[in-house]
Amino acid sequence: MIGFEMTATLSGLLIGMVCGLVPLIVGIRTHTLKPGIMGFVACTFSGFACGFLGGIPMILLATAVVISHAYIDREDPFTSRASIDEVSFEESWQDFALRKLAGLGRTVRASTHALVRNKAGFLGFLGLLFFFLMTVFGPSFIEYDGSAHLERRQPGARSLFQGPSAEFPLGLDWQGRDVLSHIVYGGRTLILTSVEAGIITTIIAVLLGSMAALLGGVVDQLLSAASNFILTIPQFPLLLVLASLVNFDSPIYLALLFAALGWPALMRAVRAQVLSLRERDYVQAAVALDLGLPHIISREVLPNMISYIVVNMIFSIRAAMYSLVGLMFLGMVPLREPDWGMMIFMGRQQGALFNTAAASMLLSPILAIALFQLSLVLFTRSLEEIFNPRLRSGV
Amino acid sequence: MTPLVELRHVNRTFKKGRTPIPVLQDINLAVAPNEILCLVGESGCGKTTTGKIMAGLLDASSGEMLYEGRSLVAYRGQARADARRALQIVHQDPFASLNPAHTIGQILSYPLKRHNMVQGRAAVRRRIWELLTLVDLTPPGDIVNKFPHQLSGGQRQRVSIARALTVEPRLIVADEAVSMVDVSIRISLLKMLHRLRDELNVAIVFITHDLALAKYFAWEGRIAVMYLGRVVEIGATANVIGHPAHPYTRALIAAIPEADPELTRNKQRMKLRSEDIPSLTQIPPGCSFHPRCPFFVPGVCDTRVPPLENAPGFSQDVACIPLTSGMGLQEWAPVEDMVADGP
Repeated sequence: MIGFEMTATLSGLLIGMVCGLVPLIVGIRTHTLKPGIMGFVACTFSGFACGFLGGIPMILLATAVVISHAYIDREDPFTSRASIDEVSFEESWQDFALRKLAGLGRTVRASTHALVRNKAGFLGFLGLLFFFLMTVFGPSFIEYDGSAHLERRQPGARSLFQGPSAEFPLGLDWQGRDVLSHIVYGGRTLILTSVEAGIITTIIAVLLGSMAALLGGVVDQLLSAASNFILTIPQFPLLLVLASLVNFDSPIYLALLFAALGWPALMRAVRAQVLSLRERDYVQAAVALDLGLPHIISREVLPNMISYIVVNMIFSIRAAMYSLVGLMFLGMVPLREPDWGMMIFMGRQQGALFNTAAASMLLSPILAIALFQLSLVLFTRSLEEIFNPRLRSGV
Repeated sequence: MTPLVELRHVNRTFKKGRTPIPVLQDINLAVAPNEILCLVGESGCGKTTTGKIMAGLLDASSGEMLYEGRSLVAYRGQARADARRALQIVHQDPFASLNPAHTIGQILSYPLKRHNMVQGRAAVRRRIWELLTLVDLTPPGDIVNKFPHQLSGGQRQRVSIARALTVEPRLIVADEAVSMVDVSIRISLLKMLHRLRDELNVAIVFITHDLALAKYFAWEGRIAVMYLGRVVEIGATANVIGHPAHPYTRALIAAIPEADPELTRNKQRMKLRSEDIPSLTQIPPGCSFHPRCPFFVPGVCDTRVPPLENAPGFSQDVACIPLTSGMGLQEWAPVEDMVADGP
């Protein structure tokens, strides 16, 4: 899957450390050692987790934060108290880059403050971080237990199921395999598929919704009719039927299917938002100033919708995950082990419902899914604050 | 001299469901370069719609909007863009007219960069500094990195004026631009608008429901009084305020509260025949003011739409048949048999 090739490898760690040298050196040079060291740690961690993909963007962010600590507004000619004749607005490109980086750094810092300030949101963030660490770094410490272990059968027991023990903290499943290893390995496909489904749903909804609102007329009517049509169909039974007819060999097909059924609700919300935003005075002013449609969409309308869109994307991810687990529970999706959904399905198949020794095997994936979902929903609270300039700039 | 902007026989209807609502009927207005024109009237009389048409934000349903003697729709290409930019609007609500997602510096830099008003990064920043100083937001460095929600209402209104000035307009439509600002800030805003008009050679169309404000602001300019989608009186401010012709204008002026309680108590109030403004969907025939007019002449006022023309004894134009035909205004007294329809 995308993003998982370079995860938790030694080369990733090296990349991260090399990237981290940039903010560290900048920090030492500007006598802001603490942010510099934090930047180094952030880069190392990010590189270790995601390789180049994580390390390189982190250089930019971390360096910006370091510079924003060192750069004082008074260095900007604009904010000096001099009169206009005394101020030179000419600046070298280095000064310009410094000013811009400091601005970016301030935004990053303000976002971090916003993230931490909302307790519920921060809790959600910690939960997501936990699942991220578990799925990314967990496999480095815990080996996947894939084959049956008949020798683990307890004397006198009628199945291989076992409750938690010191050796196996989450117990054993019906084949005597370690449940913990399945929890650690089983989140990847499920989380990735749901995230993909959520992102695709959001992209479709935002594109179609803004098209319907901006073009109006026939386009609007057709799109609204289509969304109404899909909304009236009971989603889950349709998913069931489709899943039994079509063979989903790749998670991306499943994600596309969820997106194809999931876009209408969000599309209507986006349409309503765009309709309301385009009547705002500042959009009218942009029209009067002849700033052009691309500017109006990307700079005037979108920034005021982004928190709404991101929060709804989270909800789409949540909905996709529930549908996916539901399909798996019914055995309609031929996904391979290890997978949290498959654990519930197999547990039910193998009589875990009637076996007290199997309680931990059945509850572990349920708890994992529920906690992940809870973290997602809580995290939206922080996202709202991060993307709302009114709440963010209170720093 | 060619007027900067001219409306000729402009009508505008909005549709509410199936029923068309005629918001503007046969508006004829001209604004000369560097002039101040005040549009006054009650809410719902079409002031804002007129302003939006003048700013080029709204099309007329019929009739023409001319910019420098040519219809706005006849402009093509660069000329159209220039005409478009020459007409700017400052909105009423300073809390809604600035995008909350951008800093003041960004808000002002977008039009400057997009239209290459100045060349280069340094010049853009210099221009922003100048603009902020021009609208009395000093020191500019304190404002430029702030978000709109960190400013007061008056400051925001100054920012929206500065934003309109980025493209060096010829006409600014100030749509109730000071009515949502604290009273103590109003005068300084109005003075600033006056100064900008003198320094930058822009014409200002000032829309307000407050006749006292109009009198103060447009003392050297003209006032157009609007009622139910029509201009009922237009002329130099001193004449319209000092010697009002149309009964509606007289009623408006009589209704201005005075700061002196003695004066207010003794002031002659005009008794209207009805307090209710007729609905725009059922505009009365003839002069639309006749159901409320204390000088109503049956058979004259309710049959023919009065044209806007000069009345003898007045120097302004007025749409009132008894005045323009020289009949004069007589207090209307209800005739017994016309009211007595009860048992």
